Amino acid sequence: MEREELKTQLKKQIVEFLNLMQVKPEDIKDDEPLFGEGLGLDSIDSIELIVLLNREYGIDIKDPKEGRKVLIDINTMVDYIEAHRTK
Amino acid sequence: MFYFHHITCISPQKTFADIDIENIKPPVENKLLVAEPVYDGIPLGILRRMGKAVRIGVGAALKIAKQNPNGVVIGTANGGMEDCIKFLNQIIEYDEGILTPTNFVQSTTNAVAAQIGLMSVNKGYNCTHVHRGLAFENAMTDVDMLLKENSSHSYLLGGVDEISAYNYNIELLGGWYKKEKIAGVDLYDQNSAGSIAGEGAAMFWASNNEQNAIAKLQAVRMFHSEDENLIADELKKFIEENYLEEESVLFFSGENGDSRLQKYYSASEEIINKDFTVARFKHVTGEYPSVSAMAVWLACYILKEQILPDHFLKYSSSKKDFSKILIYNNYKGIQHSFILISRK
Amino acid sequence: MSRIFVTGMGVISAAGNNVAANRNSLMQGKSGIASAEFLSTKYASILPFGEVKISTQALKEKLKAQDHGITRTSLLALHAFEEAIHNSGLTNAELNSFDTALIGADTVGGMCLTDELYHDANKHEQGSEYISSYDCGSVNMYLQSRFKIKGIINTINTACSSSANAIMYGARLIHHGFAKRSIVGGCDSLAKFTINGFNALHILSDEPCRPFDENRKGLNLGEGAAFLVLEKEEDVANKHVYAELTGYCNSNDAFHPSSLSENGDGPYLAMKGALEIANISADEIDFINAHGTGTENNDEVESKAIIRLFGKPPPFSSTKATTGHTLGAAGAIEAVYSILSIYNGEVYAGINFSNPIPNVGLVPVSKYQKMDLQHVMSNSFGFGGNCSSLIFSKA
Repeated sequence: MEREELKTQLKKQIVEFLNLMQVKPEDIKDDEPLFGEGLGLDSIDSIELIVLLNREYGIDIKDPKEGRKVLIDINTMVDYIEAHRTK
Repeated sequence: MFYFHHITCISPQKTFADIDIENIKPPVENKLLVAEPVYDGIPLGILRRMGKAVRIGVGAALKIAKQNPNGVVIGTANGGMEDCIKFLNQIIEYDEGILTPTNFVQSTTNAVAAQIGLMSVNKGYNCTHVHRGLAFENAMTDVDMLLKENSSHSYLLGGVDEISAYNYNIELLGGWYKKEKIAGVDLYDQNSAGSIAGEGAAMFWASNNEQNAIAKLQAVRMFHSEDENLIADELKKFIEENYLEEESVLFFSGENGDSRLQKYYSASEEIINKDFTVARFKHVTGEYPSVSAMAVWLACYILKEQILPDHFLKYSSSKKDFSKILIYNNYKGIQHSFILISRK
Repeated sequence: MSRIFVTGMGVISAAGNNVAANRNSLMQGKSGIASAEFLSTKYASILPFGEVKISTQALKEKLKAQDHGITRTSLLALHAFEEAIHNSGLTNAELNSFDTALIGADTVGGMCLTDELYHDANKHEQGSEYISSYDCGSVNMYLQSRFKIKGIINTINTACSSSANAIMYGARLIHHGFAKRSIVGGCDSLAKFTINGFNALHILSDEPCRPFDENRKGLNLGEGAAFLVLEKEEDVANKHVYAELTGYCNSNDAFHPSSLSENGDGPYLAMKGALEIANISADEIDFINAHGTGTENNDEVESKAIIRLFGKPPPFSSTKATTGHTLGAAGAIEAVYSILSIYNGEVYAGINFSNPIPNVGLVPVSKYQKMDLQHVMSNSFGFGGNCSSLIFSKA
């Protein structure tokens, strides 16, 4: 899958998975922080996103600290998916 | 006991904004589902995680929570049933694999009271009573004690339960809903087992302050029994203790069309003064564990506005000017309560 | 206001099937936490649990409770309930009287039957025998029907502080004249539902839990039940009295659905409020049975709140390393332990502890020891910010 296509798909998945009612997938910028400022997600969302990576891409992140390095923005997530996806 | 001030209700009927208890929405496939308002007061970032019970509970409570009550006391038998089963389904479908925690956090029965406390930054007393058909009665008793312990305090009191596809199925399998389609007041004429499903959230701002109060909670009595004679005896005592013989009392019956429970309602009607007007509300609310909260909301509204639309009436007396409403509710033939509401 | 005395106790947990067996484990510092033997879950051999060492079938036989639809949660409750009422010597007439209240608490109810619930909630066919046993109220409905209890009955669910609130509500019913005596407590059984829920939040430890230790990795779930019989001073006559319930308070942390605020406002206010009701000062507390779950968040915040209130804290420990976190039962089980401490003049060790949490530095009692105790505080904090503290005193 092309990187841009993967980004578009991931944004759609994030919005659906976290039920971000006010957010349109295309409005999420690739370098916008997911937590804190930016999208304003919290610690429970980070666990939800780890589950998303597992279910959609077969990626198993066991250590939440590892998760923190991956879940910075769309770019870091896509980098990680491309390197580690098993499906 | 105490006074009701601000009262709110999100229900299948028009009870939240533009209140209309005259024109009633009929059940659809034997379910009376809530008409949810637009939740202006709940930030979208929080709303996105809420299941229906939490949404309607918080939605109904928010205005009262802003009055800075000294605590939050909620009665709910099931809390977020929908989230509970969603999480359960994840457990089975992903074979206890990697699961999302949001449904679990939202499924705990105390999620409504907790979320109200959280959103209004209320660090006071916070309790959730979950004893099925007497969850709200226990919540009222709790508030009564709190107000005796701290006479200048005020509390947010509420009752909430939801119908999810899942608990509807469980109750249906348990034989608690009718198989034949119900259109409204025909609920009471079927001579068959079961009732119709309902859901809703009713919230009250409660205090000892008589001034500007909407109504007064005069007494609550609850007990467990399957003996209709005992219910009759207890009702007799309750009427005597509260000097209801001479009053213009409306008897608000929780009759729900379930032929198995009719003996309790018939026995109670035998006891009351023949001059009492008898009205019913389950065709408006449906049946659910904390339905007495909505019955109390209706009682407060009827007393305040002095209107009682005909569809509620079972037997009408000559008296139209009610000063008190006596609610008798019964959950599944074993949990009973008498609640007395008066114009202040 | 009348003084409220504890005249009977019953408990069942991973640490033993009755009060004496629990005390024995506590005195020996023996943990009940191990691999699960009876529990059906993928995690049975992966994670440690505080499982009650008796099968559901054996409980049914022992208690002569072969009723249709009875669950393990109700059986555990029944076991502790019977011990408590026998211990207090309550008669059938007292149990059936309108002025006897039953206030229980639980968080999973019959949801220990996860697979049956899945079936009943999703399939349109014949329901299972458990169709009316899934909700939290089902446990007390069972006790009600078995013992024909007619007084006020209630079930409270404030997550992990549920049974502390049940004890508090039962005591207040007596103070306000709604009941002459209250049987109060809580229960919960291990369930796939809670195991997977806590696991999804990444707060289950794969090792025996280590409350207040620097390297704690989370909590172990447990199961059990405990009940107390509360009666007014003037009604106890020549009955045996174990302790007096002198203080209680419920406060909300109002910070996050599943974790405590950094300053621990909820825990602080609950402990402070309980002191006010007991009308004693912080330095009069001789011992604290802490909530101490072994999670990163709870133990640090609870320590900070204790330091904030007490300055120099009294001796304390968490017995969750002995029983696991029994959720709805925890407040009641730990109330029994607090009462045993007062009654026997002894404190129990917080086992598995090695090093204190760096920035708070609190060290729990690490050995069983004799100690004369006048007032003991018991803490219970739960999801949704629901924090409660109880104070038991020498009668």
